[in-house]
Amino acid sequence: MFTSDSIFENRRFLIVDDFQGMRAMLREMLKAFGSRTISVAANAKEAIAYLEQSDKYDAVLCDYNIGPGKNGQQVLEEAKYRHLIGPATAWVIVTAEKTSDMVIGAAEYMPDDYIIKPINEAALRSRLEKVITKKAELYDIQKAIFAKNFNAALSLCDKAMGPGKANNEILRIKSNLLLDIGRYDKAKELFEKILSVRDVPWAKTGLAKVAFHMGEMETAQRLLKEVINESRSYMEAHDWLAKTYHQRGDLEEAQRILVRCTETSPNSMNRQKTLGEIAHKRGDLDVAEKAFRKTIKLGENSILNTPVAHLGLAKICTEKDNPSEALQLLKSVHKEFDDKAASLHAKVMEGVVYQKTGDHVNARKAAEELAAIIQEDPNLASTDVALEAAGFLFKAGDKEAAQSMLETVVKNNHDDDALIDQVKEIFDQAGMENESRQMIDTSRREVVETNNKGVTLAKEGQLDEAIQWLRNAKAMLPNNKQILLNFTHAAILAMQKNGRNDNLMSEAKECLNRVGALDPLEKRRIQYLGMLEAIPSR
Amino acid sequence: MDNQETPPDITAFFASAIHDMKNSLCVLINFLEGYHTGLDENLKSEVAPMLYEVKRVNNNLVQMLAIYKVGNEFYPFEMTENAIDEFVSEIVMQNQTLLDNLGITLELDYDKDLTWYFDRELVSGVISHALNNAMRYTHDKLRLLITNEDDYLVIRVEDNGTGYSAGMLETGNAVSKGVDFASGSTGLGLFFTSMVAKLHKHRGKTGSMTLENGGKFGGGCFVLRLP
Repeated sequence: MFTSDSIFENRRFLIVDDFQGMRAMLREMLKAFGSRTISVAANAKEAIAYLEQSDKYDAVLCDYNIGPGKNGQQVLEEAKYRHLIGPATAWVIVTAEKTSDMVIGAAEYMPDDYIIKPINEAALRSRLEKVITKKAELYDIQKAIFAKNFNAALSLCDKAMGPGKANNEILRIKSNLLLDIGRYDKAKELFEKILSVRDVPWAKTGLAKVAFHMGEMETAQRLLKEVINESRSYMEAHDWLAKTYHQRGDLEEAQRILVRCTETSPNSMNRQKTLGEIAHKRGDLDVAEKAFRKTIKLGENSILNTPVAHLGLAKICTEKDNPSEALQLLKSVHKEFDDKAASLHAKVMEGVVYQKTGDHVNARKAAEELAAIIQEDPNLASTDVALEAAGFLFKAGDKEAAQSMLETVVKNNHDDDALIDQVKEIFDQAGMENESRQMIDTSRREVVETNNKGVTLAKEGQLDEAIQWLRNAKAMLPNNKQILLNFTHAAILAMQKNGRNDNLMSEAKECLNRVGALDPLEKRRIQYLGMLEAIPSR
Repeated sequence: MDNQETPPDITAFFASAIHDMKNSLCVLINFLEGYHTGLDENLKSEVAPMLYEVKRVNNNLVQMLAIYKVGNEFYPFEMTENAIDEFVSEIVMQNQTLLDNLGITLELDYDKDLTWYFDRELVSGVISHALNNAMRYTHDKLRLLITNEDDYLVIRVEDNGTGYSAGMLETGNAVSKGVDFASGSTGLGLFFTSMVAKLHKHRGKTGSMTLENGGKFGGGCFVLRLP
């Protein structure tokens, strides 16, 4: 072990606090501990400038309330998101009080420690020594996770745990990792082991997450209700409970839970966003509007900001006959976000607003721009947006673009009968009942044949050919779940036969990620994840 | 002035006022502890009572805030596994200067390998308060004893003063039995402590607090039991 002095001596520190007295005091203390490199920032802007310009800091002491603009948590999020700090940087939030708003962020953006003011020199020194030492211990684990070396990370976790130590941190890292890589059986085992000692809310919530991913919604709900009964202020359990109701189609209950949460803890951007989406789906425009406005406000200072609320609010404004605000919001989507799919959606909605207000010149212009975007990347739009776009394009008179949009939808969802019916309806409304049927049938048949050929090749043991064939197919139809799953299966068979192949492994995992985004409850995804993990490394 | 104006929502000011006060306390405590202010030895024992008062202000602030937040269901109560060794050393560090300056010795007695589940912030608030109180009533010795007794973590703060008065013992035990009252400055600390104790639950068992006389030194004993 190193002596205490060297811990401070060769490390670089950044202090962020809006109060001059605190800055001076913390700097004096760090100096007294032996540190020689200390930067001091008075607000978020200065802090980010320091983080940008210099080599990575070893430790950051950041106050939570640092005046207007970003708070300490948001500075941390930006620093992590933009890789301004690495897995070795210890981030300590210094705060006057711990509130539930503060501790709800996603696990990957959690600070390494909270220090509650007031703190004196001796206690600060000991805390910093501990957090820096702990960070050094966790470094190898984090590095392995960063390199997607999950099995290595898991065994490092096991090695790092010992008796007489509080193992919270490592247990959390390990269980999050197991959930992330879809090892639900192992995650369940771990949570149950923790719960056999103690009813800890995060572990029981973890068990509920496992049940959620396995599609066992009733179990998930029972567990989450137990957590909430015992620890009402554990917000994550409320959020997941709402999620289970959402998944089961009970939007009313999901909304009720989220409304209750936002009353006590209103500053979570994600929660407000989800509430807006659910209320909007239910047609509760007032609740949705309020939630989206709050989301936008909370997002102003956040690097994790998404355009969902802008798009949602724009739609509500359109429905509430407020086209000028809708257009303004949609323009800000192009301007503030570098997100092609969101821009496409905004373009569709702009067109709809112009159509509604009778501005045919601008509507046509929007249709032309939209057609150009689609031509460049026909798979950019999600299914819902694609349907909306097709409806708009038909009305704007661009039959060709609308038709190709719908063709892509059919090909990506060739086995989803309910969706195909929706597509047919859109064609019918455009008066294209007869022409469309043939296109739909041909498209579906084409995809089935492509899929079958891949599967047959794999069955016959021509694995390289099967992989190549399905690889081409998924390049054309990156949102077709069956093709993605069949590719993964062929990759698994090949690796079971010829041994692990890192490139093929990450390609297969990428496919499963996309399947997860398209359908979180697809059973084959979980099954294949397990099979991939079971392939031994060479 | 417009008299029609509705009174401002005071909670909106809480966060910023507390932020300010905590910063001030931080600077005050560190000034009074005298690491960099170069207070000489004589002066140190003279400012010791002030340091004691500042800590009292802080304890009150912590208690009011926690009661307010728990009452409104937004205190982020978090049962985490804590290494008792770490927990104790941090409490000692936060109090060592004051103990030294007041001429009080603190004896520690606990198993170094012990770990326990509790909310670190709240329990540390309770123990700081108990220690601060004991400093006032002790003669010159304190003892912090932590043991695992029948699956309860038992934290005792003992002093060598004259012990709690009969009235205080009665009040303490009434509060711990759930009699809901708070009177004067003793009320806040007791209410806070019993609230924290009750928040700690495990398989049908609940935490509790008692006041006793006796212990190793025959003075007052503050006892917190956590399941």
